[in-house]
Amino acid sequence: MLIDVNAHLGHYPFRRLRHRTAAELIALMDANGIDRAVVSSLHAVFYRDAHRGNEELYEETKRYGSRFIPVATVNPKYVGWRRDLDEAVERWGMKGVALVPEHHGYALDDELGRAALARIAELGLPVVLTQRFEDRRQRHHWDVAEDLEVKTLLKIAGEHPNLKFLLSNWIGLDGAALAKAGLKGRCLIDFARLHVMYLKDVPRLIETLGVEAIAFGSHMPFDYVGPSLVKLANLERLPAADLEKIAWRNAAEFFHIDV
Amino acid sequence: MRESDRPNRREILKAGGLLLGAGSAGRAAAADPKPEPPSGCVGLPDSWRAMRKFDAHNHVFEPVQEPDADWSRAEALLEAAEAMGIEKLCCSKPITGGKMVGIEEVRAANDSILAAMRRYPDRIAGYCFVQPGNGPVALDEIERCLDAGMIGVKLYNQFKYSDPIVFPVAERCVERRIPMLGHSGHVTDARTRAAQPRISDSLDFCALASRYPELMLILGHVNGGGDWEWAIKGLRDCPSVYVDTSGSVLEDDTIGMCVRELGVERILFATDMTVEGCVGKILSADLTAEQREAIFWRNLQKILDRRPS
Repeated sequence: MLIDVNAHLGHYPFRRLRHRTAAELIALMDANGIDRAVVSSLHAVFYRDAHRGNEELYEETKRYGSRFIPVATVNPKYVGWRRDLDEAVERWGMKGVALVPEHHGYALDDELGRAALARIAELGLPVVLTQRFEDRRQRHHWDVAEDLEVKTLLKIAGEHPNLKFLLSNWIGLDGAALAKAGLKGRCLIDFARLHVMYLKDVPRLIETLGVEAIAFGSHMPFDYVGPSLVKLANLERLPAADLEKIAWRNAAEFFHIDV
Repeated sequence: MRESDRPNRREILKAGGLLLGAGSAGRAAAADPKPEPPSGCVGLPDSWRAMRKFDAHNHVFEPVQEPDADWSRAEALLEAAEAMGIEKLCCSKPITGGKMVGIEEVRAANDSILAAMRRYPDRIAGYCFVQPGNGPVALDEIERCLDAGMIGVKLYNQFKYSDPIVFPVAERCVERRIPMLGHSGHVTDARTRAAQPRISDSLDFCALASRYPELMLILGHVNGGGDWEWAIKGLRDCPSVYVDTSGSVLEDDTIGMCVRELGVERILFATDMTVEGCVGKILSADLTAEQREAIFWRNLQKILDRRPS
């Protein structure tokens, strides 16, 4: 069993992605032995009304049953976001909520960000924070989004002590600082941009946060899946139960998914 | 592997056993049955670790030439290379940050690579880092490094490669039939442009290559940050320029686009410290076994074979 916690569906405005539809993503998953994927809508990042992207995500993924674990994207700056969020969760069964403050024009620690995070915590769902979609050094001149910052993450972790965080596509995470901010036991970090060997980010995070904090993630379809498969293979010498946690069990428990 | 045979998590982490490194993986494999692969391994070709690989772009940044040097970072690199099946690492130690330094500091940087070559003679090959602005002593430094066994020259971002100040270094590389590896990037964000005002992009490489078509010029880290699609398209009309695949950006279809636009014979596998990611990129790309082998090592071997014996 393999669950990918870092996947996206749809077009990206600044680069052609080869695998954009649910069917294309399923084919990519099948080719790489990925059983299920936590997926959010890229359209919801760029539409004025993010919820239209959630609707598309629901419609496109529902025919594939449990293969996809869709998460909603909410823009707390947009009218009616609370009702939209309720619809995504209660009617469509979405398992988490992605916030993209850099793209939607607010901050995680301002009034709007705090309101969204508080509501997500009330719903008992994890918030999904993608540090970046693309490297800023190759950005289109219309792409002004900065990477999410670790210091902001640490701040909001303290402000929302019951909220769970999926940290997707991050680097620069200091496990001790995350633990000090109370994130041990309530964050899940994918290793799409982290190193198992040589620079050893993943072993260091396991030391400080426990193996329960780590999950397989590929950042597909932006990135090749092979890099994360290689990292998973390099974790093979962990005890089997730990490897299983990283491959899928942590993700299943984090999102309360029956496997 | 039986569960009782597995080391516990703490033992593994403490001993660096996650690293599967430096022979330890081989010993473990001899002693124990191979662990059941996770299902994700269906996405990797069979025997991918055993595929021969030469890393055309890597670094030893620590001052390991000094007495009582800390070799831990270099050892970790070697350990990772061992596990990934990377047989040779072509390393340099450039002066970064866009600053010009005196030749003494350049020599010290190269001395650290020479020390690494001495410690790992079968694994580490060296590029001689020079700053063209140092003038004739930069050429002397190239000779010193080649005499000590280095295989090529590395330039960073002190000067654009289209700048005539680079020409004497290029001419020396042509004379000695050695490759020149250049830091590159078509960076589009203001912060990076300000930090690296003289970084070369593929058009600078093309300008140099058109002047010296016999130069074995390598555009470094196509995925090292910057618009890689721009970089590849910019090389289409410069058939003598190679591209190395290294960098921390692991974006889908980079390798495919290199093959389509440049041809497989111009692509060199490299990691620039993103060891797992860059191996994974090649494994994920739609390549035949022959194409993968060419990228992983044969293309670089052909370049090295052009040096005088």
